[in-house]
Amino acid sequence: MNASGMKLSLGAYTALFLVFLYGPLVVLAILSFQTGPEGGPQFPIIEWSTYWYKHLFGLTPPSRIAPLPIEQALVRSLGLAVMTMIVSTVLGVTAAQAFRRKFRGSGVVFYLIVLGMMVPGVLVGLGMALVANTLGIDRHWWSTAFVLHVVYTFPFAFLVMLAIFNRFDPSMEEASWSLGVTPARTFRKVTFPLIFPGVLSAMLFAFTLSYDEFSRTLFASGRDLTLPLAIYGTFSVEVHPNVFAFGVLTTLFSFALLGTYAALMMLSVRRAKRIAIQEEA
Amino acid sequence: MSMMAVAEQTETETVAEKKSPGKALWLLAPGVIWMTLFLVLPILMMVYVSFWTQTTFTIEPTLTLKSWITFFTSDTYLGALWTTVRIWLIVLVATVLVGYPAALFVGLFVKNKALQTVLLVLCVIPFWTSFLIRVLAWRPMLGKEGAINMILMNLGITDAPIEVLLFSELSVIIGMTQIYCVFMVGPIAFMLGRIDTSIIEAAQDLGAGFWRIFRTIILPLSMPGVVVGAIFVSVMVLGEFATSAALSGRKVNLLGNIIVTQVGSLKWAFAAVAGVVLTILMGAVVAALLRVVDLRKEL
Repeated sequence: MNASGMKLSLGAYTALFLVFLYGPLVVLAILSFQTGPEGGPQFPIIEWSTYWYKHLFGLTPPSRIAPLPIEQALVRSLGLAVMTMIVSTVLGVTAAQAFRRKFRGSGVVFYLIVLGMMVPGVLVGLGMALVANTLGIDRHWWSTAFVLHVVYTFPFAFLVMLAIFNRFDPSMEEASWSLGVTPARTFRKVTFPLIFPGVLSAMLFAFTLSYDEFSRTLFASGRDLTLPLAIYGTFSVEVHPNVFAFGVLTTLFSFALLGTYAALMMLSVRRAKRIAIQEEA
Repeated sequence: MSMMAVAEQTETETVAEKKSPGKALWLLAPGVIWMTLFLVLPILMMVYVSFWTQTTFTIEPTLTLKSWITFFTSDTYLGALWTTVRIWLIVLVATVLVGYPAALFVGLFVKNKALQTVLLVLCVIPFWTSFLIRVLAWRPMLGKEGAINMILMNLGITDAPIEVLLFSELSVIIGMTQIYCVFMVGPIAFMLGRIDTSIIEAAQDLGAGFWRIFRTIILPLSMPGVVVGAIFVSVMVLGEFATSAALSGRKVNLLGNIIVTQVGSLKWAFAAVAGVVLTILMGAVVAALLRVVDLRKEL
């Protein structure tokens, strides 16, 4: 077989591969517009409607299908994601800052941090539940689950910042120090603006990973549900299209988040350019 | 020139080190303490508790091997261990088979950088949908009245719906393959993208056919990508329990599912034993994969 024939067949395969990746999600999105409450989670679409979206917000008359407990869960999930984002970004920036210089034992520390993203949630979750049980601590989303979320997202923030500091020109900071500016002020005025795109990426990673995190939360959060736990609760019962509608909405929310990130990124790049032009003039 | 730069750099480094020897320590301390308390300690606790005595609803810190003996003499637990290993192997092979051709196309055959980026981004976009929703999305696909059965019947390929598609081991394998194959595509495409195309052109000029080039050049050079992908997929599949909970109708019990059930019924010591077994299994798999290819040398 010649090269162009090979390329054509591989291209066709890749198209099929993308259908495999997207097919279930497309089907799920279509079925979320099934009519309710009698329409089930399967084809054919009896009638197109937004019933299940209204059902999600409690805008439909009560029926035999219980609404998803999302209101409280959404607040908890967002709160947890914001807390996790702040703490893991701060930890990530400080740890990566320390790694800018060589020190003894850096290998061990590196693997200790990266271990946090490699160890499966079911193991740390179980371990944390055992620790809490032994010490007699109650498990809550804002305590035991929160510290595990940071264990999971801090390595991502750390690796992002490590990559940023690798390409960082230290002469800028040195210039600032030699002009007598204090290290704290130098960090705020020189270092931080330069690494800001990296910080933004670390924040995005931490937020989305925590918002979607599930196995650690299952073991460590006790009775109160977060959004992923509310979805997990539907696994054991019959699934209705309201879960599908919820899936569509969370996906849209993630895209909005990504859009915000892109906009902030563009703003910071544009500001950097404007400053560069001012300096030239 | 570069020698001077290096000398200069080491000089500033030593000056900086002299100035603040303890500064790195203060910056590192919070992260290291956090990881020790909330990652290392829980894992050690799990190992410790696996030797505790289990009574009906509580555990006592009297050391015993009883939970371990129960685990290795019970058909349920050994069955779960075997199921975990079997599903892991099948999914690993499936992700390589499904992912490799796509990675080959994206990494080697697409010359246009913009198109390459677009294809990789298309692979990543599904990750912005919640993991659990992506798992659940297979239910309306595979069910008795699901999309695949509907298409097959409308095309006249089958007369009756194929029931084995959902709530079986097959559905768990299909779901996991779709969710994790992207972790295979990424590293392989990355390694393929680094191949110097002049090597392939030279082989072509010397008259080698595609399969020969693939066997002797492309496949060996992409192996580090396959190993990295295999490590990602292995760690994630071995720690799984949600996909089997959603798609197997309780027919497939992985070690992860055993842990969830045991914790639910407060059998802490048994859960800890299953956790330690899972940890050992995972460590052995990762160590074996790292022996296949020396990553430090290859990357």
